[in-house]
Amino acid sequence: MNTKTRTNIELLAHLMRRAGFGSSLSELEKIAKKPYEDVVDDLVYHEESDWVGEYHIRRFDPEASGMINPEGSQRRWMYRMITSNTPLKEKMTLFWHGIFATGRNKVLVGKVLSNQTDMLRTYGLSKLDDILLNLAKDPAMIIWLDNQENHKNSINENWGRELLELFSMGVGNYTEEDIKECARAFTGWSIGNVEYMMVRASRASDWPYGRLAYHYEFKDDDNDKNDKKFLGHQGPLSGEDIIEIICSQENTARFIARHMYHSFVEDEVEIPSWNDIPPKNPEAIQILVDAYFKYDHSIREMLRVLFNSDFFQSPKVRYARIKSPVELSVGLLKLSQEFTVPHRDMLLRNNQVTYMGQGLNDPPSVEGWHEGIEWIDTGTLMERINFASAALGNINHKGINDLVNKIKKSTSNVTSNEELVQICANSIGLIELSYDSLKTMSETISNIPELTDKVLTTLRLIGTSREFQRV
Amino acid sequence: MANSEYKYDITIGILAMEGRGFEYPTDSIIASNGHIYVGNKSRDYGERGVRISNLDYESEYYGSFGHYGFDEGNLISPNGLAEDLNNRLFVSDDYTHQISYYSLEGVFLGRWGKHGTNPGELDYPSGIAFNSKNHLYIADSKNHRIQVFTPEGNFLKSFGSLGNKKGQFNLPWGIFINKHDELFVADWGNNRIQKFSNDEHVKTYSCKSDNSTYLNHPSSVTELNSGNIVVADWGNETVKILSAQDNLIQEFRGESGISKWANAFLETNVEENETRKISNLENLDAISELVDPHSISAHIEKYFWSPVSVKLDSKERLYVTESNRHRIQVYSQIKRSD
Repeated sequence: MNTKTRTNIELLAHLMRRAGFGSSLSELEKIAKKPYEDVVDDLVYHEESDWVGEYHIRRFDPEASGMINPEGSQRRWMYRMITSNTPLKEKMTLFWHGIFATGRNKVLVGKVLSNQTDMLRTYGLSKLDDILLNLAKDPAMIIWLDNQENHKNSINENWGRELLELFSMGVGNYTEEDIKECARAFTGWSIGNVEYMMVRASRASDWPYGRLAYHYEFKDDDNDKNDKKFLGHQGPLSGEDIIEIICSQENTARFIARHMYHSFVEDEVEIPSWNDIPPKNPEAIQILVDAYFKYDHSIREMLRVLFNSDFFQSPKVRYARIKSPVELSVGLLKLSQEFTVPHRDMLLRNNQVTYMGQGLNDPPSVEGWHEGIEWIDTGTLMERINFASAALGNINHKGINDLVNKIKKSTSNVTSNEELVQICANSIGLIELSYDSLKTMSETISNIPELTDKVLTTLRLIGTSREFQRV
Repeated sequence: MANSEYKYDITIGILAMEGRGFEYPTDSIIASNGHIYVGNKSRDYGERGVRISNLDYESEYYGSFGHYGFDEGNLISPNGLAEDLNNRLFVSDDYTHQISYYSLEGVFLGRWGKHGTNPGELDYPSGIAFNSKNHLYIADSKNHRIQVFTPEGNFLKSFGSLGNKKGQFNLPWGIFINKHDELFVADWGNNRIQKFSNDEHVKTYSCKSDNSTYLNHPSSVTELNSGNIVVADWGNETVKILSAQDNLIQEFRGESGISKWANAFLETNVEENETRKISNLENLDAISELVDPHSISAHIEKYFWSPVSVKLDSKERLYVTESNRHRIQVYSQIKRSD
């Protein structure tokens, strides 16, 4: 491998860690035959095909299909992320879930949450206008923010407030009056059979025949069609008009751009501080804002610009983010191939992800999760380390067995433990270990006589390393 | 020519983690004593919910056995059910990769089976059925083959491998053996039913008559006295009756009404019942953008949702077990003239 090729493949490893959940060396070698920009295009434009995982879930984990409990929706999503051939779609679904955080403690029905996830997957790369419009009609969001209680003669501001504050523009860029007017426009945006569904939900009723999915229903006679004033616009504004106005705002573009930078480039301060602390890289945010308007609010094109930018490809931002629990565990389960088809132990893995602090469909609040260094405390760090160590150290899992055999074949000319550690780090995605990490690991394995044990121990150590825990 | 077709009769069941009812039922059989036995997987592989339910057509409930656990007599993930010639009930467990058997009264009699890929070892046993020699055929799903044992677990033979050629399988699920000892296999991953005679492939069904009705991941199959077969077309969320020539004769989407147990629940839960009465649980217009039958079934309560088993009783009544709706829809034959 010459220097240029290696640089390229290391950049691809960075890309795949950010745009997906990481790739092994053999996966990277396959895509390295293409120019970097083509790989970005493949990620951004590729539509999923021949993915049979949905059938596997339905057959081998019925609760992840029928979803009486919300955990079923978590397992379904986890399995999808592990086995998907469109990693960026999954990453973007996760991205939007972090912003439009909707939780099981109020929605209760796993199927309804899962349908929201599917909606985010379907629209997550499209125009922001389409994403927000579908979000406004999403039954899980309607229940989460009480819009079924938002009536023509008695408005409920919850959805209107969060649409502006958390989902699009950020606090300080609108008035209290704008919130009220926004809420008025969305009166009557409800769900079908709302009385029955609310009674069932209030009692967590599964009876008689299990859960029923919710569907959006526009109650025309409950919709306020009178004139409204919103962000300088006036008229009988509808919910659709409100979203169009929101998406035309520069503040919206800036808000989404900063989220994107935070999730794909480097950890930023948490959202509540965004009004007080400027972005780490204002030029990068401006590039993304320009892309937003140039490409008609297309999230797909914003991402293409981001991945092809100098600020993304800069070595300075590699490992500048701490992996979220989901990123960490999905990447590990992809490597280990513990779940070639779903089975019972997915329940345990899903619980472990929750203990690390990120239960899917179970955000701590409507604000979502605080990321970056806040993922780490003494408890969650132990969970992360144990999870990584167990996943990478179990030779009974197909992915690890294949990996160990491959590493062993490539070690015939290895003369030092440092070399072995480097080969292992390369195999699981070109992890760039620091000198200290390399030295510590080499010393730790020096007394292990048997090669398989040595390789497995090395993989476990890498999984627990600072470098692997970051992205 | 006089022929027959099926019409919705009744629904049996209600969702229940324990006692009277089902939770993610996986298979049912109508045994020689006239009772219906139903295997339940439960929602989260938990301690409650896993069991074999014992009931009858009139919804009389006789209790349950084979509850959750790793000890003998317990089950973790019951899958297929079958009765042998000695009136014993056999259950495959796809988590422990074992076969347990009980008397029809639910007394545990024995257990065998070893996880693995070698001949005689099992990986995710699903559908099971006995032939006239009292040999047990097992859809050894993740090994993509059929294995044959004595009732006590002595290995006799196996056939099939992963693939889509005749006689090969991809994650086979439900199986059925007719009175001529011909074997029908729901070859789930290959979207077809394969028929075998003396372990040799003799026919494939895929509902080829119409492109729009091709079988999609079938889960279960049985044969009518007429020679037509009934298929749980799981991926399409329908049940199909196919002729011996593989032509579609009848297709059901599901018409469930309220079972006796469901009715008892609704009568005592007035608020739910009253709001249910003013609801429309069949509003297809509201979900017109949906194309996936599975998603549609999540909304329309009367439709099949994950039909995992089709079985017949002595009157040729058809029992369709639906995993995600925790019930059995029963269809009866009516005669018609062509």
